[in-house]
Amino acid sequence: MNIKIFEGFWGVLLDVAMALIPLFFLFLIFQFIFLKLPWAKLQDILIGFTLTYFGLALFLQGVHIGFLPAGALMGEELGSLHHLWLLIPIGFVLGFVAVYAEPAVSVLTHQVERVSGGYIPNKVLLYTLSVGVGLSIAISMIRILLGIPLWYFIVPGYIFVLIIVRFSTKTFTSIAFDSGGVATGPMTATFILALFVGISSVIEGRDPLVDGFGMVALVALAPILSVLTLGIIYRRKEQEQYDKDQTRTKAHHNHR
Amino acid sequence: MDNIKDTVLEVILSILPITIVITILQFTLIWLPLDMFIQFLIGVLLVGSGLILFLLGVNIGLLPVGEMIGSSLSKTKRVWVIIFFGFLLGLVVTVAEPDVRVLSSQINQVSGGRIPKDILILSVALGVGGFVALAMFRIIFSINIVYLLAGGYALVFILAAFTPSVFVPISFDSGGVTTGPLTVPFILSLGVGAASVMRGKSSSSDGFGLVALASIGPILAVLLLGVIYG
Repeated sequence: MNIKIFEGFWGVLLDVAMALIPLFFLFLIFQFIFLKLPWAKLQDILIGFTLTYFGLALFLQGVHIGFLPAGALMGEELGSLHHLWLLIPIGFVLGFVAVYAEPAVSVLTHQVERVSGGYIPNKVLLYTLSVGVGLSIAISMIRILLGIPLWYFIVPGYIFVLIIVRFSTKTFTSIAFDSGGVATGPMTATFILALFVGISSVIEGRDPLVDGFGMVALVALAPILSVLTLGIIYRRKEQEQYDKDQTRTKAHHNHR
Repeated sequence: MDNIKDTVLEVILSILPITIVITILQFTLIWLPLDMFIQFLIGVLLVGSGLILFLLGVNIGLLPVGEMIGSSLSKTKRVWVIIFFGFLLGLVVTVAEPDVRVLSSQINQVSGGRIPKDILILSVALGVGGFVALAMFRIIFSINIVYLLAGGYALVFILAAFTPSVFVPISFDSGGVTTGPLTVPFILSLGVGAASVMRGKSSSSDGFGLVALASIGPILAVLLLGVIYG
């Protein structure tokens, strides 16, 4: 057995220091000029920075020794399968389960349930989103298999978003535009991406740089589209309710 | 303590399902050598525990800093100060964002060093910074978010026509990864702070759209990088 856990850890520690120093430095400037926090408060913040530092270091170490090499190798195996079409349902399942349990997503779905007054139950949005992200990853698999440029999906996707914004309510538009990040959880840009790079490196005629990347962008589009679409449905219902109330009042008036 | 329990549960929920699917695939289709698979599982453990520490640290230390900076900036009432520090904050937060670092090291690796990691991180961060500044500008002068988004994407599509095709997927992915566990809450609290103090009357919806705007910045920046390289 040849298992590496802490290989290259010093490099990672240095890298993470470089990542956090600018933020820490900016905080110090604010502390001296504007904030002037008392020592007790300062202590909390220092503890916070320390935890963030080691957390980020462990995270990146795990990605470097585990996710990236294993993801690439698994991708290579998957890309050499006899029945390559299997990649499409596999992609769908990966996307579906990634979103279904994601905590950031459940915050979003409950938020939508609340602002729609319960008309859009959180389960509806949850399934819409899970299917949406599943489709995004399945489509990315199709992209690799057929070598379709990212263009053909991203341009219509965003044009569609900008069109349906016109028909959605303001609240739903706001929620939709800030929801792009909820679906790109900690596994997507790390492990699933490495898997994609692996797959595209073994399929003939594909360039990992052109065909392997682009998946994260499609995943980020799914929640925006889902929330906006449900926003249109909700607005329809509101409109109907309004019309019904109008006719009722009219009928009432006529009656008198 | 509740905070810790919630965070642990949160991390487990976002990592476990995919790990299970991958484990099933490993023993049906993939059959990697066992030590490589164990290496993957160790990776899962490290990523999980790292993420727990990271999120706790962000909640205890980094988010309060974001909120305090947001409200102390707004109190200065000086437009250029707010816009300038909005830019700086967007920049330094993105540099520390885990997904941004992972994506750029993958791109560095796949491109065989042609697109160096540090340059990529820097351009993504400059892009986020620029668009956070723009978002602050929007909040102060209450410009409709839809116009900015439409304009931003129009610019993206135009630039993409002039950049080598290699850079297109990378740039869009860079836009996707900036919406990570550090950037989103940080930028949101900054925006909400600025919106609430700037105009007194609370229209909390003005803090919205920040994330969408912030993810256009890196797309543009990386496309520009492509134009320069190409």
